[in-house]
Amino acid sequence: MRIELQGVRHVYAPGTSFAVEALKGVSLSVEPGEVLGVIGGTGSGKSTLVQHLNLLLVPTAGRVLVDGKDALSLDRSELRRRVGLVFQSPEQALFAPTVEEDVAFAPQRLGLGEEEVRERVGETLELLGAGHLAARSPFALSGGEKRRVAIAGVLAMGPEVLVLDEPTAGLDPHARSDLIYLVGRLKASGMTVVFVSHDLDEVAEVADGVCVLEGGEVRSIGHPAEVFYGDPSMAPATVRVAAALGVSRPSLGTPVRYGETLAALRRVLGAAP
Amino acid sequence: MTFARGVGQFYPVESPLHALDPRAKVVATALFVVGLFFVDSAAGFLAAGAVTAALVAASRVPLGAFLGLLRPVLFIVALTFVFQVLFLREGPTLLAWGFIEVHEEGLRLGLVLAARILILVTAAGLLTATTAPVALADGMEDLLSPLKRLRFPAHEVAMMMTIALRFIPTLGEEAEKISRAQAARGADFEGGGLLKRARALVPLLIPLTVGAFRRADELAEAMESRGYRGGVGRVRYRELRFRARDAAALLLTALAVGVAALL
Ligand SMILES: Nc1ncnc2c1ncn2[C@@H]1O[C@H](COP(=O)(O)OP(=O)(O)OP(=O)(O)O)[C@@H](O)[C@H]1O
Ligand SMILES: [Mg+2]
Repeated sequence: MRIELQGVRHVYAPGTSFAVEALKGVSLSVEPGEVLGVIGGTGSGKSTLVQHLNLLLVPTAGRVLVDGKDALSLDRSELRRRVGLVFQSPEQALFAPTVEEDVAFAPQRLGLGEEEVRERVGETLELLGAGHLAARSPFALSGGEKRRVAIAGVLAMGPEVLVLDEPTAGLDPHARSDLIYLVGRLKASGMTVVFVSHDLDEVAEVADGVCVLEGGEVRSIGHPAEVFYGDPSMAPATVRVAAALGVSRPSLGTPVRYGETLAALRRVLGAAP
Repeated sequence: MTFARGVGQFYPVESPLHALDPRAKVVATALFVVGLFFVDSAAGFLAAGAVTAALVAASRVPLGAFLGLLRPVLFIVALTFVFQVLFLREGPTLLAWGFIEVHEEGLRLGLVLAARILILVTAAGLLTATTAPVALADGMEDLLSPLKRLRFPAHEVAMMMTIALRFIPTLGEEAEKISRAQAARGADFEGGGLLKRARALVPLLIPLTVGAFRRADELAEAMESRGYRGGVGRVRYRELRFRARDAAALLLTALAVGVAALL
């Protein structure tokens, strides 16, 4: 599915003295099968933005289109199944006595049969490398384990688009790279992923498109190489290095990912492998 | 975030009322509320109402905040009024229409009760709107401290009050966040009968409770690691100071409500 935001504005607590305009007319599209990285500083509106993708928040002005149709006219719970949203710190919403039951919550809400629910829960936990946790209490897990269980809880709905709001915040480097690897596998299986992050290096690794938010507005959007080379101050380390060297060696090109950058550097510098 | 703010809460602006000692305001409000029960003449209510209106103006809190405060009470006021008017059948008949009879005494008592409730709620609203929750708790602690001799834990009660007040908006925000996270997993908090709705709340209430306990733990640890050991030997950062203007405010309130009661 393709999701398009057209001039979306969002005001919290409108009409009161506490009103905050969190989004000031954001337009972007999430293409089927792509991984869209959303980056931006604290308070730039990332979380507000992603909650519009499944209408957990309704725009104050502007439109959300799903496959060209106004999302407001679609069935809300069906939309939320198709666009699975994993909140920032999703482990806060764990509630069931066991991991298995917690992950089963969403498929049960869909009215699936018992057998099918169990199958899905098993598969999803396996996918996240959390199969061995199934019988544990979600409250007795480590932070990283909780995170994986919470993501499984959303993936078990079988969404077409998975939205991850800062999924790697507070994880150790190992758990981070596991998660990046998971995003890669989901993409390979045809899923669309929206990935919110503070970490430019990690976004560079997985994103097909990048959207930079600043103060509730889109500062730049497009292919990672365009966005990052357009403003190297807002770029991952790979791009900063390549951009600095590229001034004297244009043949370096515009690599973004770690592997690409390494290969380009080797080529240009003629270093031994 | 939206629902725990605004109405009936502290409104941080600068005004002569905000500057008063919280103890003076608590005692003055108590005096005023008690005195109100002795007011029973039209002139008395006019006087009390005029004093309240003047104080509202002096507080620099927008009128809208008070109207918002009164809105939920209006229903009770209207109900009380209608009951008195319809069912108290004393004194000369003013109006008779079918089985409906309005008597003078019923109308009088209806108006008295309505005026009393409206003034009372506004006065209480004035106290909370012009006194920061922490100052209010400090004031309460001080006023309750004579009871410490009777082993009443005045400091602990005030501290609990402060913490509770502080965390109401936080819990509200958290409830909203969790309910949205569960809605993303297909939870439905609206449809269905009573039982279904109660069950639907489980995925909201459990994380909220777990979160509240975790927060309480963290807070306790943070307080202890900064040396908090309860009320004994504790000094305050903000010393309450009872000044001449506080005494004057107290005296004026007593005078006003006394006059209103005598009128
Ligand atoms: N429920 C709310 N009520 C009022 N204002 C809010 C609410 N949620 C967010 N805001 C405000 O909206 C703006 C954008 O917030 P948002 O949570 O979307 O930022 P973010 O980019 O996700 O930040 P972070 O990186 O810290 O998660 C901020 O100024 C924030 O204070
Ligand atoms: Mg956020």
